[in-house]
Amino acid sequence: EERRYRSASGAPIALRRRQHSASCRELAVRCPRLQLRSLSAATSAVWLAAYGLFVLSENSMVLSAAIFITLIGLIIYLHFVKIDQESLLVIGSLGIQVTSSYASGKESTTFIEMGRVKDVVINEAIHMQKVIYYLCILLQDPGDPQGVSEVVPLFQSSKPRLDCLIEVYKSCQEILEQRKTAPQSS
Amino acid sequence: NSPAPLPERAIYGFALFLGSWFGFILYLIWAYVPETWLFSFGLTYWPQRYWAVALPAYLLVAIGIGYVLLFGINMMSTAPLNSTHTVTDNYAKKQQQKKFQEEAIPALRDIPISEVNRMFFLPEK
Repeated sequence: EERRYRSASGAPIALRRRQHSASCRELAVRCPRLQLRSLSAATSAVWLAAYGLFVLSENSMVLSAAIFITLIGLIIYLHFVKIDQESLLVIGSLGIQVTSSYASGKESTTFIEMGRVKDVVINEAIHMQKVIYYLCILLQDPGDPQGVSEVVPLFQSSKPRLDCLIEVYKSCQEILEQRKTAPQSS
Repeated sequence: NSPAPLPERAIYGFALFLGSWFGFILYLIWAYVPETWLFSFGLTYWPQRYWAVALPAYLLVAIGIGYVLLFGINMMSTAPLNSTHTVTDNYAKKQQQKKFQEEAIPALRDIPISEVNRMFFLPEK
């Protein structure tokens, strides 16, 4: 099912939870789409600046360069920067898969096997003059089960607030608890 | 290393006070007194008058930049979101567990973040 929440900056986001089986869950956070008003504001700003330069320099190449820059910039933004949906797939005995899908359709995934996962926790840290809550996966060295070797932050561009994070945390913990009761298989 | 007043500190303070007044009067003389008067006293080897205005200007701009620089250094030394320093540090890793005594206040220690999370976000029914 899908529920609405807010991100740390106030934008509306949606969390979708799907249970594929008793030990497999998928949690997807969808970010707001690219707004028409921000796209037209950016385009008009660039084109007005280019027109001002054209009036000053009488060189018509400035106008075509501005159109070119706008198109290329939009494509680069949609393909490399604007994230549409971030999802977390937790499979009980296998591992955790983190997927980010961009607005142009590109998807980048990372898979972390369960042996390396120590825990999934909600951490709070200072980020750009604010203190934010963020969900992160604590990784452990296979040889040192007590220490934290790495921290992988999740949902970096949608930055959900604490209420959404608590839902995701509870879902993940239900699956992670099963590996303590289930016998360890190497 | 207490900040209490000591006789040596009183002497240092007074010497600094006299020294700073002497330096200030010397700076005023160098900046304002015409060159011919200074030459007639035999004191000819002074730095250029240009520096009497340049050095305070440099100092004020440096102080202004210092505010921005300090802000930037603070931002740079904040641990990024993916570093283990947000979760633990050297002292927490090496701490020793004290034995649990009945009816005594438990010893102060750094509680691991997994335990803190369970306590906060997984309410026991």
